[in-house]
Amino acid sequence: MTAQTKILLKNVGHADQHTLSGYESRGGYKIIRKSLQMDPLKIIEEVKASQLRGRGGAGFPTGMKWGFVPRDTGKPVYLINNADESEPGTFKDRVLLELDPHLVIEGMLCSAWALQSNWSCIYVRGEYAFPYIRIQNAIDEAYARGYLGKNIFGSGFDHDMVVHRGAGAYICGEETALLESLEGKKGQPRLKPPFPAVAGLYGCPTVINNVETLANVPWIIENGGEAFASIGVKNSTGTKLVSASGHLKKPGVYEVDMGYSLLDFIEEICGGVPDGRKLLGVIPGGSSVNVLTADECKGVNLDYDSLKEAGSSLGCAGFMVMDDSTDVVEAILNLSNFYAHESCGQCTPCREGAHWIQKIFHRIARGEGQPGDLELIDNLCDQIGGHTICAFGDTMVLPYKSFIKKFRSQFKERILNSIKGVKQERGSFNFESSGHV
Amino acid sequence: MSEVAQEQVTVTLTIDGKEVTVPKGTVIIEAAKQAGIEIPFYCYHPHLSIPGNCRMCQVEVEGAPKLMIGCHTQVAEGMIVKTHNTSTQVENAQASTLEMLLINHPLDCTVCDQAGHCKLQDYHYEYNARSSRFLEKKEKKVKAEVLGPTVILDGERCIACTRCVRFCDEITETGELGLLNRGDRYVIAVNEGHELNNPLSGTVVDLCPVGALTHRKWRFNTRMWYTQATETICPGCSTGCNAKVHVRDDQVVQVKARLNSEVNKEWMCDEGRYGFDRFLPKERCLYPTKAGLELEWDAAFKELSNLKNGKSLILAAPDLLLEEFYLLKLLCDRYLPDASRALAYRERSLTPVEAILISPDYAANFQGAIFSGYIDGGESLEQQLEGHVKAIKQKKFDNILFVGDRSLTDKDQADTALLAAINEMPRRFGILSDRESPLASLSQLVFPARSILEKSGLLINRAGRLQFSAQSIDFPIGSEPEWRILNRFATALGSKFTEAENDRELTRWYLKQDPRVQGLSIAAIKNQLGIDLEQYQPQEAVA
Repeated sequence: MTAQTKILLKNVGHADQHTLSGYESRGGYKIIRKSLQMDPLKIIEEVKASQLRGRGGAGFPTGMKWGFVPRDTGKPVYLINNADESEPGTFKDRVLLELDPHLVIEGMLCSAWALQSNWSCIYVRGEYAFPYIRIQNAIDEAYARGYLGKNIFGSGFDHDMVVHRGAGAYICGEETALLESLEGKKGQPRLKPPFPAVAGLYGCPTVINNVETLANVPWIIENGGEAFASIGVKNSTGTKLVSASGHLKKPGVYEVDMGYSLLDFIEEICGGVPDGRKLLGVIPGGSSVNVLTADECKGVNLDYDSLKEAGSSLGCAGFMVMDDSTDVVEAILNLSNFYAHESCGQCTPCREGAHWIQKIFHRIARGEGQPGDLELIDNLCDQIGGHTICAFGDTMVLPYKSFIKKFRSQFKERILNSIKGVKQERGSFNFESSGHV
Repeated sequence: MSEVAQEQVTVTLTIDGKEVTVPKGTVIIEAAKQAGIEIPFYCYHPHLSIPGNCRMCQVEVEGAPKLMIGCHTQVAEGMIVKTHNTSTQVENAQASTLEMLLINHPLDCTVCDQAGHCKLQDYHYEYNARSSRFLEKKEKKVKAEVLGPTVILDGERCIACTRCVRFCDEITETGELGLLNRGDRYVIAVNEGHELNNPLSGTVVDLCPVGALTHRKWRFNTRMWYTQATETICPGCSTGCNAKVHVRDDQVVQVKARLNSEVNKEWMCDEGRYGFDRFLPKERCLYPTKAGLELEWDAAFKELSNLKNGKSLILAAPDLLLEEFYLLKLLCDRYLPDASRALAYRERSLTPVEAILISPDYAANFQGAIFSGYIDGGESLEQQLEGHVKAIKQKKFDNILFVGDRSLTDKDQADTALLAAINEMPRRFGILSDRESPLASLSQLVFPARSILEKSGLLINRAGRLQFSAQSIDFPIGSEPEWRILNRFATALGSKFTEAENDRELTRWYLKQDPRVQGLSIAAIKNQLGIDLEQYQPQEAVA
């Protein structure tokens, strides 16, 4: 295992890192002081040079996104930090919010200066109570010290920052649904165009970035875009926080250079699959990507291009590992319960389709599958994907389609058993009793 | 406008191989409509915001990575669009959308009021028409939920197009409705502490493309295919809302607004909708009567010619047809030149929500009275009426003729001094349809007329738009339209004005007579959803 660069998790081991004094004792709030001396456009140039890509899942180049913001429209520019981390299998942002909240604030301040934005908001998912307390305390501290508010660091630049707690909707992580929610409306994605960079919050130019993305900005300003771009591989620069969960000896959040070998990550960093069992498959990017079987994982690296080539996606690196003890039918039922519960209900294919597929998976799981069910699910996935307002429908169908394609024998066996009348034994992980169905 | 500027404002695109040129900024649905191609939709409405949620209007746009929605995608120069007519991908997407919409739908068409004019039914037959693959249990939702005094909801039939919600948010700005819950548990509901009670509330039923919202007044009344539907104009005020009236057994069983972007968009007020038949007479006059006793028509006209003796006042209702005002004007000009002419026109005050649609009067055709030359529009109509009321009270008139049931406004009917003064006039005549009305008791001689709903003809709305109001209710034998009574009176006095035998012939006659409307026909007026008279250039009638 080669030494991994630490950009984001450099200081999280220190018990007082979440306090202002702890953060400053380790060089905090120096880079914002430097930034405020810089030309805002120069910062955007550096971020472009760094080739930093959005860490929320879509991987859109951050510098380019910032470049879309029209200047001198006479309207305020808003910066939103998307901390609605709701993708199943993802829990990296909470580490930053809980353990290094001032890094997040500093990253936002640097970005706000680059965008000439005087108001920013951290949209924290409703269930994140502790991260909310930590980031709110950090903001309070920063205000008390004069690091937020009027004339910060004596630069003449004003900046206000607020925290907004979501009410518990996955869809509010979609940037336009987040804006609707912030405006006090029901969290449902908007039609695009217009894109938020042009008409976002209250119709004003708005930049929405993930927590991890913004937390990278101070390092880029300190060391330069080139230095950041030299870490990782082509098209995937810098480091990535990976939320590793599932059948691993050492699950957790790890920071690795982009392009790190997937199997090495499992074996060397996460300690491998426990109890001598064998790897069955990995969902590498958070639940809304294609699953990779153990065979497909060979030679794949944790970066955008390599995973795309392997037929999946890096997403936000919600890395979920399944060993051969996994009941894939129950696993996909679990996911379909989630998507059915979280579909916002705005557009027809996703609203109706998510539930329909959930009901079919549930039927298969409880031993009432019918011949043709798998083909039906596959067909329904095609009817949903590409026909919805937002990406929810497009990505929801990815795990469904890949599961029934790659683990087809398990599904078929379950359906065959139900036709034969073999009673289905179900594990302790039973959703019928969980009230989801 | 220069050629360059011309190029900028229009865009030429191809839809299903058909070239069409439309203004820049037009959405594909509207462009297709112009090309004569129907793209199906549920949630889209030209006068509401665009949510793009039903996914029924998906089309293929060359170069786009996936299907686009026709309601939101704006046209671009050289764009090539394929609809369900030419693209299997679109065809499949629409069939799939319909399949999805119907999985949780109760399919209770047999007891649904919307059956027969339901877009779910229509589109299913047109774009899907295959049996469902859904084997699971349907979602259960609220049934027969009362939303307010006028509207009732069946939650299971709702397809979440949010037209009703958007109407209350964007048009009336009363915001009573909301879409609650996520996913397929969604349900339309009234916001806490509110009820759906605004002056335009019934419009949400028209906007509902399915049977989720229905009128409490007309629920479970009749199947739509047993009704006779007429496209007509609401006579309630001078806005001239375009309406479609369904009648069964002489009873109005449903009133829907018709889309007319220049007049009422697709809205209608509750007063006009639920009270559409409020002007129908309760007790009919079916023959001329004098002091309650039947009289021969000739004898009656002979009596009426007493209008020539002494000072006479002609008081006309504001909901007469334009042709009738025109005849009344000719009659007065030729045979009663000394008679004073008045129009029952009074303004009323409106709340802001009412003012969105309703005009501040009860006078459907006061513009017609002015246009025909019957009265002078120079002075305020209310002041003119006030002057005549004063003159009546000062006993300046010997004779009075009421033309139409509403020739005395409600306010004047409450004026006892006025009524007493009228009662003291030596000769009082009425051309009325209701023999129980206060006007009938004021009149010594009554001619049996018809209500506005029982005749066809032209109306001019407040904005000066000429519209055709079609007869929506059958008239009883014995009654005569006001115009024919006036024409027969003219015959009795000398010679008749028109040879017209029925309403249509009269309208055709009028359109030839008046040089300002030359070149118009009933069909042209109907097809163009009315004619803006200020813009209209009269043409020589085509032989």
